[in-house]
Amino acid sequence: MEDIKKIKNIIQALGEHKDSQAAIELLTELGTNSADDEIREITAQTLIKKNTHESLRVVLISKGKGINDLSARVAMSSINELLSLKDKAEAIKILDDTIKLHSDEEVRNTARSVRALMTFA
Amino acid sequence: MEIGKISLHKVNTSKNANETNNIQKNQMATNPFGVSFKGNVIQADVFESSKQTIGKGFAEKSKLFASAVVSGINNFNEAFKSRMNSIVSFGKKITSNVFESIERIGNTEITFDMEGIKNRLFPDRQFSVKQLTNKSVEELKNLWCDLTPQAV
Repeated sequence: MEDIKKIKNIIQALGEHKDSQAAIELLTELGTNSADDEIREITAQTLIKKNTHESLRVVLISKGKGINDLSARVAMSSINELLSLKDKAEAIKILDDTIKLHSDEEVRNTARSVRALMTFA
Repeated sequence: MEIGKISLHKVNTSKNANETNNIQKNQMATNPFGVSFKGNVIQADVFESSKQTIGKGFAEKSKLFASAVVSGINNFNEAFKSRMNSIVSFGKKITSNVFESIERIGNTEITFDMEGIKNRLFPDRQFSVKQLTNKSVEELKNLWCDLTPQAV
């Protein structure tokens, strides 16, 4: 088995892990900062699937992570994952707060665009 | 003496009975085993044959052959004994080794690390999502760091 496949399985296992808080911290620490686009993409998707306040904050308001990733592939897959959530309430709340309160304009603009997409989804 | 040289002495009894008697007496004196058959006197050495020389040669050869056989048997016995000794020592060594092994087995506690065996037989299996979910986050972090040494 290739290493990338093993890491994918580790990320998936962290998404299903009972210790949710520790799993999110590890995903944020290792996954979102990975040099590999594929790992960052899977990490962002996993964090969004968890659909908790802590996990969504990482991918919505952190610069260079999730929807704000410099890689279009990672950003687009994160947005797609957000749009496919059944319960979007927490994500919309965080996006609204980001649009109002975030210090970085680029992050605010991105949040505004995603918020608009989620409204129509 | 050869058969061809057998001295047959025909005696004409009708001509001179005295001569015949004299000859018989002489022959009896020179050959005490002489026997007369119907007037013919045959000496005892008439039965000696040249074939007997062959028989002697054969006997001498057979003696040589027998001595060679005996010496061969002796050599064979020595070789057989030495081989038997080596076989016996080998058997003793094997027997002692077997007993030592049995003692070791008796004193050995056998435990099976099924998880380790599974991981060795199926090295990728420990990276299945089901197996990974049962591990702690700290273990998962270590596994991740092992796979990507640059990750801290």
